[in-house]
Amino acid sequence: MTQEKVSIELSRRWDSYKRKSHLRIKKIAQIIHVIRREPRGLIGVSIIAIILMCALFSPWIAPFDPNEQDIANRFAGPSPEHLLGTDYVGRDILSRLIYGARVAAVVSICSVGIAVLVGVPLGAIAAYNGGAVDYIVILIFDVIRSFPSVIVILVLAAIFGPSLLNIILILAYTSFPAYGRVARAQTLSFKEEECIIAARSLGATTGRILLSHITPNILSPIIVLAGMDLAVMIMWESALSFLGLGLQPPTSSWGIMLRQGYTYIETAPLMIIWPAIVLITTMLGCSLLAETLRVALNPREREADE
Amino acid sequence: MLKYFVKRVLGIIPTLLCVLLFLFSLIYLLPGDPASVMLGPRATPAMVETLNKSLGLDQPVYVRLGRYIWGILHGDLGESVWSGHSVSSLIMSALPYTIVLTLSSMGLAAFFGIILGVLAAIHGKTIIDHLVTVLSLIAVSVPDFVAACLLLLIFSVRLRLFPVLGGGEAGNIVDQTHHLILPVIALTLGWLGYIARLVRDTTLEVLDMDYIKVLRSFGAPMRYIAYKYALKNAIIPVVATIGLGVGKLLGGAVFVEMIFNRPGIGKVITDAVSARDLPVVQGGVLIAALLFILANLAADLSYAYFDPRIRYK
Repeated sequence: MTQEKVSIELSRRWDSYKRKSHLRIKKIAQIIHVIRREPRGLIGVSIIAIILMCALFSPWIAPFDPNEQDIANRFAGPSPEHLLGTDYVGRDILSRLIYGARVAAVVSICSVGIAVLVGVPLGAIAAYNGGAVDYIVILIFDVIRSFPSVIVILVLAAIFGPSLLNIILILAYTSFPAYGRVARAQTLSFKEEECIIAARSLGATTGRILLSHITPNILSPIIVLAGMDLAVMIMWESALSFLGLGLQPPTSSWGIMLRQGYTYIETAPLMIIWPAIVLITTMLGCSLLAETLRVALNPREREADE
Repeated sequence: MLKYFVKRVLGIIPTLLCVLLFLFSLIYLLPGDPASVMLGPRATPAMVETLNKSLGLDQPVYVRLGRYIWGILHGDLGESVWSGHSVSSLIMSALPYTIVLTLSSMGLAAFFGIILGVLAAIHGKTIIDHLVTVLSLIAVSVPDFVAACLLLLIFSVRLRLFPVLGGGEAGNIVDQTHHLILPVIALTLGWLGYIARLVRDTTLEVLDMDYIKVLRSFGAPMRYIAYKYALKNAIIPVVATIGLGVGKLLGGAVFVEMIFNRPGIGKVITDAVSARDLPVVQGGVLIAALLFILANLAADLSYAYFDPRIRYK
């Protein structure tokens, strides 16, 4: 092949790659379109938006300081002043729930973020290199996944002690193999594409190929997985705090509130009911969004719907 | 099938070894000297030394690892630091409760999940389908510990229909079943929703296939086709997720046992974790991991049995 032919061939492949990234943008637009059209997706997005707003602006939204006690007014039912009532030391339940959104958001976003940042590169490198690297990485993933995650989380939380950072790291540890596996599978199918061969023949280094050519193209299933995982992490944070292994009082976390409600189950049912409603609504919001995303990304499903 | 069976069974050996290594290294992960952590700050040097001896901590690492694995192979999981009972007897007395709890939740979830899923698929795009879809979505979204708290609040504390705490009188099956109902419901809900959705989706896919169309053109009634022909293929993904489900339910059992104060392996582990009773934690986690690995193995094998294509990959 002459020099000229090679360069024509390369530019053709490069164009096909550019078209692919254009398709990616179209896909995102398509997702937004489906979410806007689907009432379920809209509900899910609004619930998540409300939670995020509460997390970001809790000092301005919450009517009271979450730790302000009013012993004389404890176990109060809903009233114009305390919209959802007060808990066992007279703290405003609504304010505590709003501040609890902060903890939930920080834990879930950080742990999913770390899991993605660790899992995706590991999976992509394993698939791209193959051989022994691939084998070792897969073995690591398999071992971590061979424990029931609850029990690992419990044991690690007990060993490393309760703190925000530890919870985030433990949750990230139990979930990164899932991202690694998805990234690996995606990379395996994508690395034989023409654009990667073109990039390699242009002399791009492995690092550059992985970072700027493979990563952007394998992200979409990972984003869906991460979206679903956010809800799981929120649940975990609450579950650990509920068991007393997560954040510690007086931090306001939904799990801690539920725990305190459990202690006063005979006297103050509202102390269980409010955090339970908030937790279930949050989980529902995430499921609805994930469901819509799944439909949006799966054309077969969409046709069946139309 | 035999070849696949052997390959798959041998495949769990490296995982098991890594699990053992992880459990063995737990003692080094504990911050500080294990003996003083377990005994607390007021321990005298003599007490520390005795504990170190009884745990075998005065021996070199490889000797301890060898002893540990040797002991496990002989069913000896060590002794509880606090009560002195052997860990295996503690676990064996708790295990039946957890197994009954998880298996009945699994069974209920699979039974109702499959029926609801197929029902929704047959009546696609009708009110039944929408109802099943919405309900299962809600069921999936309720975390099991929240469900357990709410059930306890409504049915035990408020309505007084069910006992509040415990696993029931030993030997009295009626009483034990009565104590089992709420915990099982709390565990079942989420998994039921998951299976119903899974079965609905796969049945819809299968109902679209040619062999079903042929059956329909012969005039076979829809319900007959769905349960007799479509379900067999639609059920395969459900079988594949049973291993996953056992892991999930074992985890849920930890919370449910704590909330309803039921005896069980989850309660053994949580109690041991808060008492820092390391041998019991190690033993409990080992058994839980073993159950999980075996369930996954069983799921994979039955998957291969139902779907011959898996065997030849």
